[in-house]
Amino acid sequence: MKKKVLSLMLATAMVASMTAGCGGNNGGTTDAGTTDAGTTDAGTTDAGTETGSDAGESTGGSNKLTVYAWDANFNIPALQAAADDYKANVDPDFELEIIEQSQSSDIEDAITLAGSAGDYSNLPDIVLFQDHWIQRYVADYPDAFVDVDDAEVDWSDFSQEKLSYSTINGKHYGFPVDNGTVIFAYRVDLLEQAGYTIDDMTGISWADFIEVGEKVYNTTGKYLLSMDGDGNDLIYMMLQAEGESQFKDGKPYITENEKLVEIMGVINEMISRNVLYLANDWSDYVDQTILGDMVAGVMNGNWIIPSIQQVTENSGKWEITSMPTLEGGEGYASNGGSSLYITSNCQNVDLAKKFLSYTFGGSSVTYDGALKNGGVITTCISAGESDVYNEGVEYFNNTPIYAQIVEMGSHVPVVEQSDYHYTCRTQIAAAVINIKDGMDVMEALQAAEDQLNFEMGN
Amino acid sequence: MKNKKRTVTAKQHAAGWIYLAPATLLIAVMSFWPIIQAIITSFKTGSSANMQWAEPIIYNYKRMFQDQLFLRSVGNTFLYLLVEVPIMLVLAMLLAQILNNKDLKFKGFFRTCVFLPCATSLVSYSLIFKSLFATQGLMNSILIKLGILETNYNFLGNAASAKAIIIIALIWRWTGYNMVFFLAGLQNIEYSVYEAAKIDGANSWQTFWRITVPLLKPTIVMTAIMSINGTLQLFDESVNLTNGGPANSTITMSHYVYNNSFGTGVANFGYASAMAFFIFILVAVLSAINMKVGDKRD
Repeated sequence: MKKKVLSLMLATAMVASMTAGCGGNNGGTTDAGTTDAGTTDAGTTDAGTETGSDAGESTGGSNKLTVYAWDANFNIPALQAAADDYKANVDPDFELEIIEQSQSSDIEDAITLAGSAGDYSNLPDIVLFQDHWIQRYVADYPDAFVDVDDAEVDWSDFSQEKLSYSTINGKHYGFPVDNGTVIFAYRVDLLEQAGYTIDDMTGISWADFIEVGEKVYNTTGKYLLSMDGDGNDLIYMMLQAEGESQFKDGKPYITENEKLVEIMGVINEMISRNVLYLANDWSDYVDQTILGDMVAGVMNGNWIIPSIQQVTENSGKWEITSMPTLEGGEGYASNGGSSLYITSNCQNVDLAKKFLSYTFGGSSVTYDGALKNGGVITTCISAGESDVYNEGVEYFNNTPIYAQIVEMGSHVPVVEQSDYHYTCRTQIAAAVINIKDGMDVMEALQAAEDQLNFEMGN
Repeated sequence: MKNKKRTVTAKQHAAGWIYLAPATLLIAVMSFWPIIQAIITSFKTGSSANMQWAEPIIYNYKRMFQDQLFLRSVGNTFLYLLVEVPIMLVLAMLLAQILNNKDLKFKGFFRTCVFLPCATSLVSYSLIFKSLFATQGLMNSILIKLGILETNYNFLGNAASAKAIIIIALIWRWTGYNMVFFLAGLQNIEYSVYEAAKIDGANSWQTFWRITVPLLKPTIVMTAIMSINGTLQLFDESVNLTNGGPANSTITMSHYVYNNSFGTGVANFGYASAMAFFIFILVAVLSAINMKVGDKRD
């Protein structure tokens, strides 16, 4: 008897798992249909009735658009603000279905998968992903995205550096959402203990920075800078502040790039003199060094601010400024940030273009809402002049950091982008570690360049 | 009479085929077809949306031997293999021997303890080891309290120690698993054989090497093949424990294959498939050697 019951249960379980498995493969109803738990309906009230709908066929002449986004505390509130703005001021019947993904790489995987299969029917109308990918996607899957060159947007009102990612062969593909402008945030109280002010740090050279950093470490026991050693963005940012890139005419520009060689030396010196702490990976970088209160300074894209703010007891002790440079003088760079792209699966391209150009194309209402609800800072220069942007932020000693960031963003030099950005970053990060472990600088860089050339097929 | 019997056998045969059909069909569609597709893919290059036949056709296979990073991943994997598998198998055999002792109390409890690591999922145990050996982790605190270390040591940030930790983690995870096979093997050895040896005056060292090991040979061959196979395909530990770092010094072959297909978004499926087949050939060759050398039953 017992056996019979058991075998019956097993059989049921098997059948159930098989049908569940097959159901997933049938038709085009995978992602959007099954991730309803994470669906945030920014549009009208009938969120519940739309649950079974498929991202691939939900539009077709209606007023509804679907979009993939991934961060419920950051870019989803921004999209919601845009949807509310458009609904209130343009079309009351408009509806935006935000399909939440658990992380940005899920969206990138979905695009790679759809592109590899040559079947875009599972993608939503609009996708949000990190800026460095678009070059690669347009090269690999030329028919995956719709260009938005004819959208009614004043492109000159945006940071040109931001647009340089999503402009391919002179055509605009993306609508910028958030801003990746690099900030250098300092603990003013700790600087003071070492005898410095935030003004001393503005426009400082890296050589002087090391002197300050050493003093800060010796007096307070905290590092003036930390970085993720595994996905090291430091080199890219420092190089951009010099107006240089790791690429030149589509080829790696590493061993012959004097600035890069110099920067590698600076980084190595910072490590050996306890100015820079290299964490093993990203979670160590955030959890151990920033949340663990190990550092007196943080330099990264301004999206790092919410992480800094999580250490509530340090409120009011931080301020931000620009980056140091090799020769001295204020440095500006940008790291990270994402944009919205219209997929070729979009059934209502006109509506998508209209919606995106009205909202993220420069609407103050959208951008104020995005900043208030999600802390998303714009790259749109005119939108950054609103009152909301000029309010002081308590955590940062009541300085108006948002306006400061938008202003800094307008200075970021445009440098050559490559669809091999992440491959390059991996190799250079390995070189930093190898140099730290005693390898000769040129030898380590040569190895990185060789591997990069190899992977690019040069 | 004869005729009827035949139909019964025929019926039975037919029934057998019907029972086999669903599983065969599923394996063919879900497993063999993808394998064939992967072979075809491994001769192609280009972006995943628009793959072309490679020029020359073995381009991907030639390419991997010029790829320093791939060669390094092969080296890492073989280092894990050569260090970890012998230690683990010897440990497993010793533990099995101890736990097979008739006079041992709480045998069931100890056996469960040794086997328990196997019940942990690969990802979670990797993450646990990662936090144990973190710079601010438990291991560092213990070693500092004991006075062995003076300052926190970044175990996962240094090539040699990161490799050592992967090996320790592997031993922890898989020794119990292999021990169970040895235990089963030991229980198949008649006690009278040991008794006879004892009467002849053999000490326990001699009985172990002259009786236990030869009689366990089939088990040893099997566990060795499984361990070699498993280590060559090592993936979870490399990804979750160290993410291949620092500076790719702990990356394994499978991890590199993954990086070239999905991991870093490069979608280089042709090259990745070619490398996967290289691993497949390695596993086949090593297992064949192992079977030829180890198995002397015939």
